[in-house]
Amino acid sequence: MAQILAIHSFRGGTGKSNLTANLATALALQGKRVAVIDTDLASPGVHVLFGFTPDPGQPTLNDYLQGDVPIVKCAHEVTPEPVKKAHGHIWLVPASMDSDRIARLLREGYQVEKLNDALFSLSESLHLDLLLIDTHPGINEETLLSTAIADCLLVVMRPDSQDYLGTAVAIEVAERLDVPAIRMVVNKLPQHFDTEQVRERVASSYGVPIGALLPLSEDLLTLASGGLAVLSYPTHPWSEQVRGLASELLDSVL
Amino acid sequence: MLSIDLDSLPSGPLSMAGLLSIEPAELRRLLKGGLRRGLSTDDLQALLEQEWQSGMDAPPVQALLAALQQRGWFSWEGDRWKTHLG
Repeated sequence: MAQILAIHSFRGGTGKSNLTANLATALALQGKRVAVIDTDLASPGVHVLFGFTPDPGQPTLNDYLQGDVPIVKCAHEVTPEPVKKAHGHIWLVPASMDSDRIARLLREGYQVEKLNDALFSLSESLHLDLLLIDTHPGINEETLLSTAIADCLLVVMRPDSQDYLGTAVAIEVAERLDVPAIRMVVNKLPQHFDTEQVRERVASSYGVPIGALLPLSEDLLTLASGGLAVLSYPTHPWSEQVRGLASELLDSVL
Repeated sequence: MLSIDLDSLPSGPLSMAGLLSIEPAELRRLLKGGLRRGLSTDDLQALLEQEWQSGMDAPPVQALLAALQQRGWFSWEGDRWKTHLG
C-alpha cells in the first residue's frame, strides 16, 4: 500500500502545486513509483508543471468522480527523462481544465467517499510507493478527507500574516484528525528575511516540525511553472531544499 | 470504558465536517479508522481495546456498532469495517 502525502495550504498562492510537482519528481528521482492526484478541482494547475494537458477525450479525475471511468484510466504517465534514468515513475491524475466540467463539478458536487476509494485502487493498480495529493486551498469536505487519510501532511505557507493565521486553523484540523506526521513548509521566503527568525516564529506558532524553508526565487519566477525546478535548476537552493525534504520524508516519515 | 450517549449522535449521513466535530475523540478515531481501506475485524478489535479497553462482544460496543450501522456511518462490507460518507 502506497504512503499518502497530502500537500495543503490554507490560502492560495503559496506555491503548493509547484512544490507538489517538484517533490514528486525528487521522490521519483530516488527510484520511487509516485502518483500525483490533482484534487484542486476548482482551479487545477499541477499538470502544467509536468507539461501535460489532457487532450479532449483523455480521462481526468472528473470522469471518475462524476462518471464511470476507472481511476487507473485517469492516470497518465508523465515521467521526465532524468527520472526514467533513475528508475523512477510519475503518474498524474489531472483534473479537467474544461470550464463546463469545472462548473458541473461545482454545481453537482461528487461523493467524496469515491475519492477515498480511488486512492487505494490506484495504489494497487500502479504498484505505487507514494501518492501525493495536491489539495484545494482552505477547508472543505475533500481537504478534510485528504487530511484524514494522509500518512503525512505538508502544510505550505508564505511568511505572511494572513498565512500565519490560516495555517493555525489547518494545523488544528490536522491534529484533531490525528494525522500521523505533519511538516511545515514555508515557501517564497524573501531574501532579506531572517531565516532563523522565521524558523523560530513558525516553530513557536505551531509546534510542528519544519520540513523546509524555501527561498523566493527569481529563477522559479522565470520558469513560470513551465517546468520542474529540481530538473531545470538542480543546484538552486530551492531545488536542493526540496530534494532534502524528499530525503527527510523518506527517511523519517514515509 | 465506553460511555457514549448514543441518542446524542446526530442522525443522517456522515460528512467529513461532521466527523471532525464528533466527540469523544475515541469515536472520531474509530470513524477515521474506517476510512482508507477500512478495518479488518482484528484491526477493529485492537482499536476497541486501545480506545475503550473493550472487546467487540461487550454490550456497550455492540450498541455503539448498531447505532453507527443504523445511521449508515460504519458497517461491515465483505471483509472490512468501513466508514461511509454521505
